[in-house]
Amino acid sequence: MQIRSTTLFLVATLAIAPALADENLFGYVKGSETLPEHAYEAYTIITNRTDKSVGDYDAWDTKLELEYGATNRFTVAGGLIGRSIDVNGLIVDGYLPKDEDTGLQFSGVEVNGKYNFLSPALDDFGLSGYWELEYNTIDAHSGQDKDTLSFSSMLIGQKYFLEGQLIWAGNAFLEATHAKRGAIDDLPEDFEWSTDAEVELELGASTGLSYRFAPNWFVGAELLYETEYETEVGQERYSIFAGPTLHYGGATWWASFTWLPQLTGGGEKFEGQDTDLHLIEKTEQELRLKVGYNF
Amino acid sequence: MTPMHPAVPWLVPITVMVAPAYAVEYLAVEQAQTVLFAQANTFVPQIVTLSDQQRDDIKERSGVRQRTATQQMWRAQRDGELLGWLVVDEVIGKHEFITYATAISPTGSVLGVEIMSYRETHGDQIRDASWRAEFVGKTLSDPLRLGKDVPNISGATLSCRNVLDGVKRLLVIHDMVLRDG
Repeated sequence: MQIRSTTLFLVATLAIAPALADENLFGYVKGSETLPEHAYEAYTIITNRTDKSVGDYDAWDTKLELEYGATNRFTVAGGLIGRSIDVNGLIVDGYLPKDEDTGLQFSGVEVNGKYNFLSPALDDFGLSGYWELEYNTIDAHSGQDKDTLSFSSMLIGQKYFLEGQLIWAGNAFLEATHAKRGAIDDLPEDFEWSTDAEVELELGASTGLSYRFAPNWFVGAELLYETEYETEVGQERYSIFAGPTLHYGGATWWASFTWLPQLTGGGEKFEGQDTDLHLIEKTEQELRLKVGYNF
Repeated sequence: MTPMHPAVPWLVPITVMVAPAYAVEYLAVEQAQTVLFAQANTFVPQIVTLSDQQRDDIKERSGVRQRTATQQMWRAQRDGELLGWLVVDEVIGKHEFITYATAISPTGSVLGVEIMSYRETHGDQIRDASWRAEFVGKTLSDPLRLGKDVPNISGATLSCRNVLDGVKRLLVIHDMVLRDG
């Protein structure tokens, strides 16, 4: 049912967007190129995270972002983040305290910058640094109150093959998060819900290949590895997601759609979980739609 | 009443800003012929068919693929005298093909380049006469390297590189099959 409603939603979205454009070939993997000086780009990024093997879990992350080319090598951006968490019939001690349906709520803000050291077309290999600061007030997993401040730093590589018909991109990143949960009055008995401040460290790497099979149309695949370390437990989780991406780009508009199921995972599990994936902070499926407008 | 889907509000800006995009065609073949060979009074069409071995040699010498086995060109003449060759070619842009015309002298130097269609988000400057003028006089003896003897245009680096590589490839084709007229 979830897939059906999402499909209808995407068909409706694409039907109202006639022609699209830019180098965001992937849903998750970032490319190394930056905007030209004084150019703007506006994005909408919508991510749907579903299924934790028990009960019903349906989360939507949304972001509106505006990017600006400060120089030909340095792009800055700011964004507004929204979240909707719908969890039903799934209690996970320490993480998901109760059924919740938050509806879409404003969750936070983000600022980021990308600096291009090497251009993939000019220098044969593209290399950029990316830095992001994000503040949120809603827990991305439970939908409960949680103040988080995250800083991430990423190295981005990109390579053109076949005169740009085949494109590879790879990322490696490190994210540090300071988080503090809000108190909950009606917790289940003996439920652990720490409201102490905590620090988490997340490491990740991703890679993707995209091939232009017709003018404006690219098909690709991407893979995302993430692992998180926490003060008390050491490595808390790891996961590998991988899946296909379809991208359409034109002179003004572009769109990318990615389906990223979790292939393998590990670390902490919850009681009753019937797969070997990591499903406490991650889900079995992710879908992402990005739509951008250049001006 | 059915509740609104959580993602719908985030699509509003998209629908508001949506506008159709159109391909931009700047020159037809006849116009390119006139601009690049103003003194010619005859253009004899010719299709060069390349063998697999020749295509391999072109890649070896130019560094880029010859994607098609045939190449459309015109022999530019004035009262029967060969003035040069006009080649209409396509290279890969960021999203679509860039169509351009190159005029090559009988001895293998670039007489001029015209962009016939360009449909990319950024980099319209590759149509600027000053950038295209950088190609004039270039031969296979020149480096033909972006950022060295032909300047780059920010935001259109891939387009610049592929047009430059395309011109180099056409010079190789000229050297292999057209040099003797």
